[in-house]
Amino acid sequence: MDAIVNDFTINIATANGTGSQSANLILLQSLFNMGIEVSGKNLFPSNISGLPTWYIVRLSDAGYQAPGDRTHIQVLVNPATWEDDLAQLEPGTVVVWNSDAKKPMDREDVISYPVPMTKMARGVNAKLARMIANVIYVGVLAELLGIDESAVVEAIGKQFKGKASAIELNTTAFHLGRDHAREHLTKEDPYAVAARGSNEGRFFMEGNEAAALGSIFGGVQMLAWYPITPSSSLAEGIIGWIPELRTNEDGEATCAVVQAEDELAAAGMVIGAGWAGARGMTATSGPGISLMQEFIGLAYFAEVPCVFWDVNRVGPSTGLPTRTQQSDLQMLYEGSHGDTQHIVLVPGTVEECFEFGWRAFDVSERFQTPVFGLSDLDLGMNRWPCEGFTYPDVPMDRGKVIRERDIFEAMEEFGRYRDVDGDGIPYRTLPGSGMAPILYRGTGHDEYGVYSEKAHIYLDLMDRLRRKIDGARDHLPAPILREEEECDVGIVYFGSMENTIQEIDDIIEAQGRKVSQCRVRSLPLHSEIEAFCARHKTVIVLEINRDGQLWGIMRRELPNHLVDRVHSVAYSDGMPPRASIYAERIMATIEEVEA
Amino acid sequence: MSDAPARKARPVKLNTINQPVDAYKGGPSSLCPGCGHDQISSVIIKAAWENGIEPHRIAKMSGIGCSSKTPAYYLGQSHGFNTVHGRMPSVTTGAAAVNGDLTYLGVSGDGDSASIGIGQLIHAIRRNLDMVYIVENNGVYGLTKGQYSATAEVGSKKKKGRPNEQTPIDLCALAINLGCTFVARSFSGSKKQLTALLKAAMAHKGFALIDVISPCVTFNNNDESYRSYGYVKENEVTLHMPDYIPQRLPIEEVEVPDGHYVDITLHDGSTIRLETIDAEHDPSDAVAALSALHKADSEHHHVTGLLYFDGTQPTMHEVLNLPEAALIDLESAQLRPSEAALESVISAFRDG
Repeated sequence: MDAIVNDFTINIATANGTGSQSANLILLQSLFNMGIEVSGKNLFPSNISGLPTWYIVRLSDAGYQAPGDRTHIQVLVNPATWEDDLAQLEPGTVVVWNSDAKKPMDREDVISYPVPMTKMARGVNAKLARMIANVIYVGVLAELLGIDESAVVEAIGKQFKGKASAIELNTTAFHLGRDHAREHLTKEDPYAVAARGSNEGRFFMEGNEAAALGSIFGGVQMLAWYPITPSSSLAEGIIGWIPELRTNEDGEATCAVVQAEDELAAAGMVIGAGWAGARGMTATSGPGISLMQEFIGLAYFAEVPCVFWDVNRVGPSTGLPTRTQQSDLQMLYEGSHGDTQHIVLVPGTVEECFEFGWRAFDVSERFQTPVFGLSDLDLGMNRWPCEGFTYPDVPMDRGKVIRERDIFEAMEEFGRYRDVDGDGIPYRTLPGSGMAPILYRGTGHDEYGVYSEKAHIYLDLMDRLRRKIDGARDHLPAPILREEEECDVGIVYFGSMENTIQEIDDIIEAQGRKVSQCRVRSLPLHSEIEAFCARHKTVIVLEINRDGQLWGIMRRELPNHLVDRVHSVAYSDGMPPRASIYAERIMATIEEVEA
Repeated sequence: MSDAPARKARPVKLNTINQPVDAYKGGPSSLCPGCGHDQISSVIIKAAWENGIEPHRIAKMSGIGCSSKTPAYYLGQSHGFNTVHGRMPSVTTGAAAVNGDLTYLGVSGDGDSASIGIGQLIHAIRRNLDMVYIVENNGVYGLTKGQYSATAEVGSKKKKGRPNEQTPIDLCALAINLGCTFVARSFSGSKKQLTALLKAAMAHKGFALIDVISPCVTFNNNDESYRSYGYVKENEVTLHMPDYIPQRLPIEEVEVPDGHYVDITLHDGSTIRLETIDAEHDPSDAVAALSALHKADSEHHHVTGLLYFDGTQPTMHEVLNLPEAALIDLESAQLRPSEAALESVISAFRDG
C-alpha cells in the first residue's frame, strides 16, 4: 500500500458547545506548525450548544484551500449525526469513532478505528469528559498520521495562552489518545503527514480579524455596530485593538465605539460621524445591509463619507446564518431606492482584508460616498495562512475637506455641491467650522445645498453623482490577472473564490484546457476588466450564488459587442466552494458555447 | 434647592458675544400660516441668541415631517442635517461621538418621535446623549394630510373619517420612566416659558427633551381635539416657570420674578430658576412628575414646565472615555498607529 502523504481531508463530526472547536484548532495548528499546507473549515450551526457541527481539515501540498471532494478520514463523536455521517462515506474511508457512543459501526467497507473516548476522558476528569474526548481524537490522529508531538504541544500552548491548567489537561488527554492508538490500534490506512517548509513566517488569521486591524490602521474614529453573525468578530476585533493601538497617553480612546440598538441606528451613527468630519464605520451582514438601505441612499445623495463592511452569509431573509455565500454584491452596488451606485471593495485574501480595511476610508473620504467592504463567512471566520501585512504606503487621504479658513476664503465661490474641478467631487466644510454652513438633506438640492425641485437642477445633480462614481473606477484596486497566452477562455471571479481558483484551474487544465483568470476586486468595474473580456472569446463569470450577480452587472455595463461572450457559472449550496463542482460547470459551459 | 425672596434686579445683558439677533435667523418658512412650529422656530432663534452661543457652534438636527423642515427657518449660520424619518438621534449620536463640542439642537415631530423613531429616541435617552430634543407635537401627520399620530388622544376627530381609538403615547412620561435627565413640556404659544426652558435645555449636559404642544392649524384644529390651539390655551396648567441665568452673569443682574422660586444648578455650573406655580412639585422627583402628568391627563389638561431633572448622570461622551479634544481634530499621526506598531503586532502573531 502506497502512502498518501499530505493530500487528504479529515472530517470531524461533533456537537456544538463541547469544546471541539479548540481541539480542531489544535489539530489544524499542529499540522501548520509542521510546515504543511493545511486549511480548516468550520461548519457550525446557528446555535450556542447542542446542535451538530463539522470541522473539515484539508492537507494539500498543492496549497488547495477549499475542502476536497470527499472525506478520507472521518472522526465520529456526535451520536446525533452518526448514521448520516457514516452513510455518506466512500468505501475505504478511515473512521475514528467513539466506541462509547452506543451507536453501531455497521459499515464493513471502511477502515475502522474504535476508541473508547468517553471512558478514557472520564478517567481524566468526569465533569469535563465531553471536552476531553475531543482532544483524545487529536492524540489518536497524531499517532495514526505521524504528527510531531512537539507540533501538538506548541499548538496546545498557543490555543490556551498561559492558562496552565488548560494546557496540562489538554496535554494529558492528547497523550492518552496517542498512547491508546499506539497500544490498541493497528494502522491499516495509507494516510500520513510529512513535515514541509511551507509556513515559515506565516501565521493563521481570520479575515474579520485582518479587516479589523486594517480599520485600526485606517484611523477609524467611530465604530457603530449591531451584533450579527458572521460579522461580530470584525467589530469585536476593532474593540480589542483599541487599548493597545488606539489609546492616547491619558488612557483615552481615539476611536469611539457605540453598540447600536439596531443596524439602522448603526448606519445613522456612521453617517453622523462622517458628516461631522470623522472616519466612521460599521460591520454587518446581509440582513443588516437590508435594514440600512434608506440611510445608504441618504449618504449617497447628501455625499457623506462612511464605510460599511458586509460579511456575507447565506440569504435570502435569515437564510443559513452560519453558512457562506457571495450574494450581497448587487445589493451593495445598487443599494437603496432611486438611482444609486456605490463603491464596493472585495478582498479575496486576509492580506487584502487588512489593506481594504484602511483603504476603504481613503476612498470614502475622497469620493464623499458610502464605501462597502464585501467579505464573506468563509473568508471572515475561517483561519487562513497569512504572509503578514503591508503598512499603508500612502498617507491618509482626507479628500476635499476644507478645514482652514484662509483656504476657504481663497476659493472663488463656495457651493457644497459645486463641481469645481470637473471630477464630480465637490468640496465640503465641517459642522462647527462656521464656513459655508448648509442644511444637509436627503431631498433634492442645488449646488449650494438649498432645497430644489427644478428639473435641470435635479438632472445636473444626478449626472454629477454618476460622473463622480464613474470616475472612481480606476482609482480602486485593479483586478488581479493571470493570463495564459493565446487563450480563448477567461474566468472572472471575486472575493473568497480566490482560495478555490487554483484547484479549479488545475482540474480544468488536467482535462486539456487552459483558461485565463481575472479577479475583480472592486466595483464599479475597473477598465481592465473590459479589456480582459475583449481579449477572450468566452468569458465565464464564476460566483458563489444562484443568480450570477456579477455577471448581471457586467452584462449591463460592458459595451454591447462584449455582452454576448459573457456567461455565468453561479452555484451555491451554503457550503464553502468545492473546486470540482465549479470546474465541472465551467467545462459544461465551455462545451455548450463551442458547440 | 432653596426658596429665596425676590430681589430687585437690573436688566440682564443678553448675548455677551455681541452677535446681532439676525445672525440666528434662517430662511423664510414654508409651513402653513399660523403654524405653531413657526413660533417654536422664533423661540429657538431667541433662546440661542440670548444664551450667546456662537451660531456656527450649534448643529441643527432633524428627521422628516413638518417639524423637521424647520431647521431651514432658523440658525442660518449653523450646519444642519435633515436626516431620514425618525432617525435623527442616531445621526446625532455619531456626530456627537466625534465632535462633542457643538450644541446639538434636534427638532422632531410626534410622527418622527412617537412612531417610526421611538426606538432611536429611547436609546438616545438611555445613552444620555448631550443634545436638546424638541418634539413639535400636534397629534397629526401634516405633510401626508392629516393622519393620526401616536400622540393623538382617544376620541380626537379628523375632519373626515373615524375618531381615534388608540391610547396616546405621552413622550414626557416615557422619557421620565427611561431616566431622561431633562424632561419638560410647553406650548408653542407660551413663548416666555418655552424660551426659558430651551435656554436651560441648551445649557444642560445630557439629553433634554422638550415636548412642545404645537397645534396644527390645518389638520388638528377642531375644538374637540385637546391639541387644538383654542383648547390648549384654555386648559393649560403651568407647573413651573423657569428662568435661565447664564453662568457668566452675576445673579444680581437678573430680574427675579415675583413669588417663590427654586434654583437648580446645571451640569455646566449655570443655574436655572424655576418660578413655582405648583410649589409642591420637586423636579428631582420622578414619581411626582409622573403623577402630575397622569393627573393632568385624566383632567384633560397639559401640565407644562420642567417636569423632571437630574444633573448627576454622565453623558454618552463621558462614558465613551474620549479625549478632551474632539476626535475630528486629531491629526493622522494620532489616528494611524506607527509602522513599528504593525511590525510588533505581526511578530506577536508569528510567535504567539
